[in-house]
Amino acid sequence: MSNIFNLVYNELLKIFIRKSTWVLYGFLTLIIIASGFFAYFAGNERTANYTDEGWQEELQQENAEIGANAEQDVFMLGFNLERMSENNYYLENDLQPVSYGAGQFVADASFMISIVSLLTVIIAGGIVANEFRWGTIKLLLIRPYSRAMILFAKYVGVLSFAIITLLYVTVLGWVVGLIFFGFDGFNPQVIILENGSHRYESVVLALLTDYGYGLVSLIMMATLAFMISSVFRNSTLAISISIIILLSGSTITLILSRYEWSKYLLFANLNLRQYEEGGRVAIEGMTLPFSITVLAVYYVVFIVLAWWVFGRRDVAGD
Amino acid sequence: MSAIELTNVSKSIKGKQIIKDLNFKVEPGEVFGFIGPNGAGKTTTIRMIAGLVSISEGDVTVMGHSITKEFSKAIRHVGAIVENPEVYPFLTGMQNLKYYRRMIPGITKARIDEVVSLVGLEKAINQKAGRYSLGMRQRLGIAQALLHKPSVLILDEPTNGLDPAGIREIRQYIRALAKNENVAVIISSHFLAEIELMCDRIGIVKNGALIDVQSVDDTTTDTTELRQVSIEVDQPEVALESVKAAHQIDGDIVDGLVRFEINKDTIPLIIQTLVEKDLLIYKVETSKTRLEDKFFDVIGENVIE
Repeated sequence: MSNIFNLVYNELLKIFIRKSTWVLYGFLTLIIIASGFFAYFAGNERTANYTDEGWQEELQQENAEIGANAEQDVFMLGFNLERMSENNYYLENDLQPVSYGAGQFVADASFMISIVSLLTVIIAGGIVANEFRWGTIKLLLIRPYSRAMILFAKYVGVLSFAIITLLYVTVLGWVVGLIFFGFDGFNPQVIILENGSHRYESVVLALLTDYGYGLVSLIMMATLAFMISSVFRNSTLAISISIIILLSGSTITLILSRYEWSKYLLFANLNLRQYEEGGRVAIEGMTLPFSITVLAVYYVVFIVLAWWVFGRRDVAGD
Repeated sequence: MSAIELTNVSKSIKGKQIIKDLNFKVEPGEVFGFIGPNGAGKTTTIRMIAGLVSISEGDVTVMGHSITKEFSKAIRHVGAIVENPEVYPFLTGMQNLKYYRRMIPGITKARIDEVVSLVGLEKAINQKAGRYSLGMRQRLGIAQALLHKPSVLILDEPTNGLDPAGIREIRQYIRALAKNENVAVIISSHFLAEIELMCDRIGIVKNGALIDVQSVDDTTTDTTELRQVSIEVDQPEVALESVKAAHQIDGDIVDGLVRFEINKDTIPLIIQTLVEKDLLIYKVETSKTRLEDKFFDVIGENVIE
């Protein structure tokens, strides 16, 4: 049983030694550095610095500038109005805002979890199918482990890849933030405007919340891709179906939302954030326990299908 | 205890029986060949022994452990190359072996070096396996199969696509393994001449059934068995006549060669007769007709690829 670690190690070895994985990591690195560049050179108020003595005046001046430029900055209007509202909250509650820095940059870059989901889906979609394509499945299945154990090691490998990659983007994001914007403390408190209400919250908590919600969809989509990979032995199919759902799930939900049955669709339930205070529920009548139940049912179906088919399959001639 | 034992093994797919009631044993140190035309069920049988394909009825035991009920215990004793020698192309030869080493406890670093030198891959072991030639991949495949000192070695068409020198080498490895390490080897092939040279016993499969099991006789032991002897001489007609006169043995002339069906003891007598007649003998060839005839009888020559 202790050898499960060796099996997982082998799976991670096969993932990380391949050039295609390095290309994906290069892509992640580029996105983060580009975000840093963009935020830095765009030079908008988001990344402002505040002094201990004059922060009230600085915030008021910022709001004045936003107001003056509102005409030209139509593109940024929504964003700027949010910013004004946050600034006012600081002033009203006499809270000194923290100057922008690495911690806040990482929190702003929490959208990276969607890209990590994308990469995880690519890995999950290939992890079983590739062994069939390479023909190595035959050699893998004649080792002293049950098929269920081999598949479990692969599944743990996929989830480990997601966690390693998420850690990578977080650490890299922090370092890039540090280089561009400097140090803003290990756990700065900031105002976050979410669903129309303000919260004064630590950046770390905000980041973990974003990651937490993001992980729900990551795990569901990775498990879907993993299941398709195991059942159909086709990585292209597994990856494309999962990515289509990942990218267009919310649009499809919107289109189908007038049908009663659409609330049972996987992608209508992926975003649990819709149940936060002030959130808009995608389809009338959905609740948090409902979504969790739907997700759990899908999850169990995916897992059972993947293990059942993999365990029974005859590895016959091609 | 037999190394491999098949008891009433059948396999059905969608109601059609593709393997029919196989029964045979392979003993430690024995090389067992499995021969039949493509589609006869060789590969399916081999994969059932390795647990890759499920068994509909009956059971296979490896070193006394059932492959269906005690898979891990049984497969621990099995080393295999199934079909092509499959390797991870993005790993070096050494990384491939270390990868398999991690999956079976008790394989030392020294054992890796040992199998690498056994298959003669020392120089290329740190190159990416994706750049290996077929012969090198085949060697890496054998190294992988031998890594955990299996008691049973399963080889499915092991010489497919190899050059003659490679085939010869594999043949020597296999014979040496069986002899020196008491490994039971089971080989499938559709190529009779090759398997005849490697195996102690040969099972002939056709349409999923084991038609016959033959021992491959060592030519030096059985002296009474009839065999075909072809002789190339300068005057075939004279040779035919004089042998008939001296030994009352009838022969015929095929492609300029004089051919007799005789036992081993008669060969020197015939040669002596020809020499006394001052005929020039260029070549004497014997072939074991039994297995080949049997094989073609049951299979039909045309089906063989």
